[in-house]
Amino acid sequence: MILDSPVVDAGTFAERTGWVAKPEGLCKAEMCVPAPGADRGDGSLDVGVVADRLRMPLLHDDSYNIWALGPESGGRALASAEAADPELITVDGNPFKLSSLHGRKVLLVAWASW
Amino acid sequence: MSLPGWQALHAELSPQGLTVVTVALDINPDNSRPWIAAAAPTHPSLIDTTHVTDELFGFINVPMAVWIDEQGMLVRPAEQAAVERSPLRDVEIPDNLPDRLHQLLTEVKQIHDPSDDYRAALVDWVANGASSRFVLTPDEVVARSGDRPMDHARAAAAFELGQHLWRTVGNDAAIPWWREAHRLFPDNWTYKRQAWTFVTTPPDATEPDLIQGPNDVYEGNWLDDVLAGGGGANYYRRPDFS
Repeated sequence: MILDSPVVDAGTFAERTGWVAKPEGLCKAEMCVPAPGADRGDGSLDVGVVADRLRMPLLHDDSYNIWALGPESGGRALASAEAADPELITVDGNPFKLSSLHGRKVLLVAWASW
Repeated sequence: MSLPGWQALHAELSPQGLTVVTVALDINPDNSRPWIAAAAPTHPSLIDTTHVTDELFGFINVPMAVWIDEQGMLVRPAEQAAVERSPLRDVEIPDNLPDRLHQLLTEVKQIHDPSDDYRAALVDWVANGASSRFVLTPDEVVARSGDRPMDHARAAAAFELGQHLWRTVGNDAAIPWWREAHRLFPDNWTYKRQAWTFVTTPPDATEPDLIQGPNDVYEGNWLDDVLAGGGGANYYRRPDFS
């Protein structure tokens, strides 16, 4: 997740990572991690606290003054078997969500031109 | 690229409840569009210009795939996927090729071909759903998704920084971060192949360079990195259908 300051909108953070800010902490599926100080009270999160509590790397590019927050570490690549549902883009440029296919089986195949 | 194969699979199994969704991991969407146009897909055909699906589903090479059931649950994690045998596995290698090209093709032929087993397992899942013996429990899916140590998480962040700078500044700004991603997560071929293609493809080329040979920008290249990993036989995370 690219950031131009060490603050992130809680909704954007949840959309990208699946971690939702709740009174009890940062929660994903049935797991919650206490994160005092993470919620700034204005709908945004302190990225430094989030990174520390969820063991997410926070990198900074000094030349261009941008940050990148990486995924949580220390566990498995998937924290849950619930399929992520990012907003993706079709070849025609239209938004697409995997959840639009609920009720059908889906084979999601990654490929590339390279 | 095998897009026609995935499209054929979609046409075959869609009436039985399977939707194939293909997603091109290409920072430059113009590179994947010609392949998509040629395949004329009727299935959802996506382009992931930010590689967000790498991180969210665990793709570390292509082609890889995940299975998602009717309730939106993964029943198989990211693993090598194929439903047709690549003709490269059976190519006769002429003796008079340059050494590196000969060696490269030799390793390509060693890459595991899972197509028969993969197709059979997929067809079984489509027919039998949750009772298919190839469906994994949620705990098994998570366990088989692989470890994510801090180095891999840092590699994801570094690769994303490089992508952002590639788009907003240019390839030179991306290179230091992509070098760092390669160093931190050497088994992630999406990080490496995506970056290499920008330096080994000639500017006037009409298709991306797939050989991705030695260059002055990155320490690695396809052949030497495959050999360092134990050869073509170890190139993919093989699906385990046992």
